[in-house]
Amino acid sequence: MVITAAGTAAHTDAATPASAVDLAARAARDCLARAQLAPSAVGVLINVGVYRESNTFEPAVAALVQKEVGINLDYIADPEPAACFSLDLMNGASGVLNAVQAGQALLDTASAERLLITAADVHPGGSASRDPHYPYADLAGALLLERSADPDAGFGPVRHYAADGPPAADGHLDTEGYLDTEGYLDTGTMGTDGRSLITVRRAQGHERRTAGLATAAVADYATRYGLDLDRTRVIGPHPAADGLDTTAGEPHTAAPVLGYLRALAERDRPRRHERLLFVTVAAGAGATCVSYRPEAW
Amino acid sequence: MSNTRISSRIEALGAYLPETVLTTRELSGEAPGLGDVDVERITGIEERRVHDPDPEAGEDSFGMALAAARDCLAASRHRAADLDIVISASITRFTDGGRFLFEPSFAALLARALGARSAGHFDVSNACAGMMTGVHLLDRMIRSGAVSNGLVVSGEQATRVARTAARELTDSYDPQFASLSVGDSAAAVVLDRATDGADRIDYVELMTCSAYSHLCMGMPSDRSEGIALYTDNRKMHDRERLKLWPRFHSDFLTKNGRDFAGEEFDYIIQHQVGTRFIDYANMTGSQEFGTPMPTSLSVVERFGNTATTSHFLTLREHLRAGTARRGSRFLLVPAASGVVTGALSATITNVGV
Repeated sequence: MVITAAGTAAHTDAATPASAVDLAARAARDCLARAQLAPSAVGVLINVGVYRESNTFEPAVAALVQKEVGINLDYIADPEPAACFSLDLMNGASGVLNAVQAGQALLDTASAERLLITAADVHPGGSASRDPHYPYADLAGALLLERSADPDAGFGPVRHYAADGPPAADGHLDTEGYLDTEGYLDTGTMGTDGRSLITVRRAQGHERRTAGLATAAVADYATRYGLDLDRTRVIGPHPAADGLDTTAGEPHTAAPVLGYLRALAERDRPRRHERLLFVTVAAGAGATCVSYRPEAW
Repeated sequence: MSNTRISSRIEALGAYLPETVLTTRELSGEAPGLGDVDVERITGIEERRVHDPDPEAGEDSFGMALAAARDCLAASRHRAADLDIVISASITRFTDGGRFLFEPSFAALLARALGARSAGHFDVSNACAGMMTGVHLLDRMIRSGAVSNGLVVSGEQATRVARTAARELTDSYDPQFASLSVGDSAAAVVLDRATDGADRIDYVELMTCSAYSHLCMGMPSDRSEGIALYTDNRKMHDRERLKLWPRFHSDFLTKNGRDFAGEEFDYIIQHQVGTRFIDYANMTGSQEFGTPMPTSLSVVERFGNTATTSHFLTLREHLRAGTARRGSRFLLVPAASGVVTGALSATITNVGV
């Protein structure tokens, strides 16, 4: 499975509230335009964003994105029906990599020809910059994926690395030890403002812990699959270390897409990398790794 | 109808239902805006289960999901430590009492609490088609050889939207009216590789028709403290929407040189919206396929619309009660915001319940 096109969209108009649906749709349309494909070419749409406008929990954000992009609006009314299935898949910062994992299975079993992944996060209140406690940026990334004829190209196996630590007590988060990031809406204190509030808490040592989990995962993945790390460009887990702009907040679930686009832009630099290795860490719960070898670099 | 040599099967089912019963009459009594509207007559729902709001009771979405997962694993040949992947599908992700969680994933917490140390994990969210979506992805992952087994689980404090509706709705045409039909529950299913035709998922095919994605929206209320669901029931379940399933399913069967009657389903499980909806969906299926529908199974009268868990809860309850025969072929039909439709066909004989 290879990346056919990648796109991004940032919230730039301060006069209107940021919308994960709008940003994801813009990034998705960007992908389709680059690939010169009609919306009906998309067989599966997976949105992996975590934070969304108004804290909407139903339907899947992906279904709303699907509508915005104009994919399979009505199977019966469409003169040439092309079924598309959409879903939200969420796993903190690791969403894109888990969607690649699910997407590999869907393409391998011929469930779909093309897969669109959107990764859009916005502050539920409409502006990340107005909430000093919210660390993420209002932005989206999208990847269009399809099977490749080249057996050596594309994504390798997606591998999960569990964090060590004591088991969480039933029904209670363990933010001090094992889990170090929580994002939630406190419905017991939200009053009538629940559509615009969100709490994101990080335990002390979050960056260090994230780096530690990522380093161990990258080392194991490289050994397990025989990757030469000198010729591999590692993308993640810290957006700033990848050279991404974090002035408007950290890219959250879209970070792997932005990292990929940056690697693509820098591919002609003297030090050539033969492949990429994506690594993400989801809320301290564990790291996820997947390698990627482009068809043509 | 598998295009790979490997098939998956439903290996075990589990559930958790809170003990507290709330009758539709009692719930209607909490809704001053309803007047004398008879919700039980309209929905066919007599009662539903409701969670104990005391955090110590362990009946938040997470606690119920964990209990259902344990119930499922107790009936499974697999131990938690042997699971390759855990997929959580809750719409209402309440933990620590009133926290609606966005990250970490529920699946990460559940895998941890179950002792599924090496399991990959992620959440899916796809309205009432959530568990079906999780089963779809897991079926494909097993068939592609990426994993050999996995758990799909969901726990729902759905009645939180019912309480908001009861407080806020003004009449039976209110967009929150449908929220009165929901009930709390959790369900879990283990899938692994099929070893013979007696237990096998034949196919899971799902589709989203996005023109109608705005017809059912869930978010916090801006009128009182609580989460709410706003549904345009008339458009959501009109006849043209109900035709989407038979048209899509029929096209899939035709492509594979089959037809509905030839599938010889023994049972059909529609999404448990209400008794009238189930009758209407089956009637539409019968008309569109031009053949009688198989025996329709339901639990909606006792448990209400349990959202993501409805099909698997219905399947488990009827297998346990002996009101669905083992060795039968089951058709599960989702109907969810999005709108999502499709078909899951499975032969079930030796499942642990």
